[in-house]
Amino acid sequence: MSDNSLMKTLATYDRRWVYLVLFLVVVGPLLRPIGMPISVSPDTRQYYEAISSVEEGDKILFTLNTEFSGYNEIQAGIVATMRVFIEHNTKICVAVGHPEATGIPELVFNQLRSELDANGYVYGEDYVILGYVMPNEASVASMSQDFQGAITQDWLGRSIDDTFLSEINTWEDWDLIADFTTGLATTYLLNHFALRGTPMTVNCIGVMIASQKPYVDSGVYLAILQSMRGGAELEYLTGHPGPGLTAMDAFTFGHYMLLLFIIAGNVGYYGYTRQQRGGG
Amino acid sequence: MAEILKNRQLQIAVMALAFLLVFVPYFIEVPALEAASTKLITITAIVNAVTLILALQSQIRRGLNIVQRRQTGWYFKAYMIITMVLMVVFAFFGRETGPYHWVMYAVVNPLSSVNYGILAFYMASTAARAFRARNTQALLLLTTGFIVLLYQAPLTGAYAPWLEPIALYFGDTFGMAAGRMFLISVTVGAIVFGVRVLMGKETSVLGVGKEEV
Repeated sequence: MSDNSLMKTLATYDRRWVYLVLFLVVVGPLLRPIGMPISVSPDTRQYYEAISSVEEGDKILFTLNTEFSGYNEIQAGIVATMRVFIEHNTKICVAVGHPEATGIPELVFNQLRSELDANGYVYGEDYVILGYVMPNEASVASMSQDFQGAITQDWLGRSIDDTFLSEINTWEDWDLIADFTTGLATTYLLNHFALRGTPMTVNCIGVMIASQKPYVDSGVYLAILQSMRGGAELEYLTGHPGPGLTAMDAFTFGHYMLLLFIIAGNVGYYGYTRQQRGGG
Repeated sequence: MAEILKNRQLQIAVMALAFLLVFVPYFIEVPALEAASTKLITITAIVNAVTLILALQSQIRRGLNIVQRRQTGWYFKAYMIITMVLMVVFAFFGRETGPYHWVMYAVVNPLSSVNYGILAFYMASTAARAFRARNTQALLLLTTGFIVLLYQAPLTGAYAPWLEPIALYFGDTFGMAAGRMFLISVTVGAIVFGVRVLMGKETSVLGVGKEEV
């Protein structure tokens, strides 16, 4: 292969090569994890400190503003955070912001069955699943100002009167909101809870980080957990490896692959495309 | 009566009243006003929930119309109607077990996940082909993106910790500035839109007429 044809290949490679290589570098490490070391970012340490500061009996609104699709990106953070809350014997109320998310609490609690049993968690006394109660801003505002008026039963139609939720009336009665989001009702939670003073943390997908970070800097959020990588780092800090750490090998290889393709594309651009255009 | 309800000034007056009822209690503590505001918000939430039933009815009626006329893609509408009705029926058999549970975990979950996973391939392909140092600005973007991407790979952080402060600097300065600018401009835009609505210059929210400049 002459230099020119190599440059042409680098400049004009078929996008399907990217698909194929990405598929291989992701699937390989997922099937046979290597266990590469990872570093823990300052944001994750701040998040871990925030969720670890909860005390026994604290009432936590655990909001899943995600579909099944986004759940795959943030499930490591969801499970690891829930584990911390269970180990601290907090009272947990799960609410969701998408019809699909009504299926997610079961996936989460199934992974934490031993922790629930070990800490003597009983449905109703220690945790409640409300289901799809955050379809729009009015619902969230209503939950914030008159919880008893807005919510009367859990997702299976059982009354919440005899649960710990009977002590909740307004936004002031929550000790923490832990939000896990692909961007659905998070703005409403910000407007009607966090900006009024309810402590709030967020675990968001990668594309949301830039728009959520300013809220940490301004003190509206206690902390932010960034995407799957943040979830993996939290798993590392809590000492319970899970789906996040398992995915980090593929995550690393995927990033390196992308960098190689970018370098190759630029070498091809200067070695072939610019010369073809007479840019020398 | 219908003519009175269609009156634009009346609609704007009702909207302005509702706005003030919810807005003012944020700044002035009047228990009676707060109670009225809370009641109004709860009523809105309930009305919103009921509109889901309206949406279901409207979707089925529109879908059936398309199926009957055999318009382009009518089979997708037929599929949508069948699955919508089936999920409603399945829900009556319980949601913790049975057919609803099966569809949720054996069909919706994997389909939704695959849909999301495919995006990674498009994003990787786009990034690989779009990041070209065509000029100085593009070179700066490429350099910044390269450093941040390299830092985001977990292994890099473990073996090249010196990269962390550089990548964090980009995020905490340029990234934060862009994020703030985005949030502030969206917020200011929303406030301006709200004022225009209250001044009757943005009638599209009422479902009538065109906006005035």
